[in-house]
Amino acid sequence: MTTSDHTYADKAAEAAVRATPEPVARRLRSLSDKAIAWLFIAPTIVLLLAINIFPLFWAVYLSFTNYRANRPNAVVQNVGLGNYSRVLNDPDIWASMQTTAHFVFWTILLQTVIGFGLAYLIDRKFRGHAFWTTLILIPMMLSPAVVGNFWRFLYEPQIGLFAYAVSFLTGIPTSEIQMLGNVHLAPWAIIIVDTWMWTPYVMLICLAGLRSIPDYIYEAAEVDRASNWRQFWSITVPMALPFIMLAVLFRGIENFKMFDMVNLLTGGGPGSTTEVASIALKRDAFEAWATGRSSAFAIVLFVAVFGLANIYVKALNRVKQR
Amino acid sequence: MADVTLKGVSKSFGDKRAVEGVDLHIKDGEFVVLLGPTGAGKTTTLRLIAGLEKPDAGTISIGGRPMEGLAPAGRDVAFVFQQYSLYPHLTVYENLAFPLRSPARRMDAAAVDARVRQVAKMVRIDHKLENRSTRLSGGEMQRVAIGRALVRRPAIYLMDEPLSSLDAKLRGELRLELKRIQKELGATLLYVTHDQIEAMTMADRIGILAEGRLVQIGTPREIYADPANLHVAARLGQPHINIVPVDLLPGATPPRGATAIGARTEHIAIAASEGGNARVDWIEHLGDQNHLHIRVGAHKLVTLADPDMPVNPGDRIDLTLKNPLYFGQDGQRLV
Repeated sequence: MTTSDHTYADKAAEAAVRATPEPVARRLRSLSDKAIAWLFIAPTIVLLLAINIFPLFWAVYLSFTNYRANRPNAVVQNVGLGNYSRVLNDPDIWASMQTTAHFVFWTILLQTVIGFGLAYLIDRKFRGHAFWTTLILIPMMLSPAVVGNFWRFLYEPQIGLFAYAVSFLTGIPTSEIQMLGNVHLAPWAIIIVDTWMWTPYVMLICLAGLRSIPDYIYEAAEVDRASNWRQFWSITVPMALPFIMLAVLFRGIENFKMFDMVNLLTGGGPGSTTEVASIALKRDAFEAWATGRSSAFAIVLFVAVFGLANIYVKALNRVKQR
Repeated sequence: MADVTLKGVSKSFGDKRAVEGVDLHIKDGEFVVLLGPTGAGKTTTLRLIAGLEKPDAGTISIGGRPMEGLAPAGRDVAFVFQQYSLYPHLTVYENLAFPLRSPARRMDAAAVDARVRQVAKMVRIDHKLENRSTRLSGGEMQRVAIGRALVRRPAIYLMDEPLSSLDAKLRGELRLELKRIQKELGATLLYVTHDQIEAMTMADRIGILAEGRLVQIGTPREIYADPANLHVAARLGQPHINIVPVDLLPGATPPRGATAIGARTEHIAIAASEGGNARVDWIEHLGDQNHLHIRVGAHKLVTLADPDMPVNPGDRIDLTLKNPLYFGQDGQRLV
């Protein structure tokens, strides 16, 4: 910084001091550090309370009522645990939970296996590995809205590149490759897109795990006459495991509440074959306008994710402490 | 156990020559210490023998078998790394058993267990077998690392400054321990260090490395009393050898061409004298002995003295040389 910068900044500071009205200045001077700290974080806390914490508690309250958002003037009655018992006994809701579980299981399995595999290859540090890393990361950097629309075109049976490529390789006519319209293919269409988009993310975390293993551990194993196979299973995998588990946790929570991609690609259809829990919830809340019941559903989902994540984090900590 | 021979071994990393034309023969059951400052090529020499690096030139053979192209696993060596390099996710027991569980060894579980427990006792870590290796102190980790090498009976043990990160007391204990174990097993051992005390106390032979070259190799006594050049002379002896001009002190009989004299404590006789040729600058009291810092003209010397020698800073003393070492213009020793 030059001297003129200094003088300029100093002058600005002096001007600010002069311009502050005396009563305000006196008040500010009397504030403690702690008070100033509160002053700075207060806006964030207010926002957090207003758009996160309050709605959460409000939803808990609504879940015990028969409130409907499209009839704001109707009398709101307390229905006790009625909404919860209806949610937990509704076969459609259980079907959507099953769809979600199916979706979460396959996306995590594919993303972990492919992501770790890619990370393992990239970690070999071959020529141009940095270039390939960047290339692989691109899908993850796109907006889900873009990816959704983009893949809808790719999946088009008549004009889509995906159908064309599959048809070219297998000989099945493109008109039969209705990825989004066929009840058997639609769930896999979503799994493919999610895997395409988020495998790079899993790869990145796995790569961090692999890079955290020091070279000398492998050298020691080499001298100890461990084969590559044994090195992989007794050093690479156990030492990268906390990272792999972390990636699974992130992807698991994210996909449990998966909404955007499904909404853009199939909207839950055909029929309700891709109606994951969040789509079912949205339909219940904003198409059936059963606000009270959908609040109960949301709370059930929240408790389920929170409980599962907690159990998982405990397991993760145990692995890390080894 | 086997003998190890290096012939004309060289290795460069980019422009940097790490090891240059090293010839070294380690006899079966011998304890050889490579001594040298950081960057002298000690670790590279070990890694070359282990097969962790490939030599640019020269040959290495273990037990008469040429090692060219053989991976570390095929060489039958054990390596103790400077940074412990324990398997952090395994217990002490599992770390020690790791080399024995190699499928190539086909050792049954009972034999593995017996060996692990025997070695654990040897390196005094048997009370912590079930601990995670990351939950150990530095000294314990290093003992596990040494133990992991000792569970095997390889052709040669290679140790890279295994004691350097330990505190002085533990280092002293483990030094004795290691020497005892080596004798007990009759093991061939190549040990790298920059610590002259470790070299002097443990080695059957010491090799002095400087800038990638093996400058001199011999028994500790030979290296100390009969150094080949100034560099070797400066590596050993505490306090450091004093290098002075040939005509500075009386008692020298320099051969032709000598330009410098190396005088250790045992080469300097001190007598209290009012009109002496030297003056005591200050005295460091170490308890059992004193370090005397002496000034002769513009030269400073350090030597040892008996703690009850009656001298004080500022006193004049008389120095005489007794059979010092002579060096020529090029730093080589002259006899």
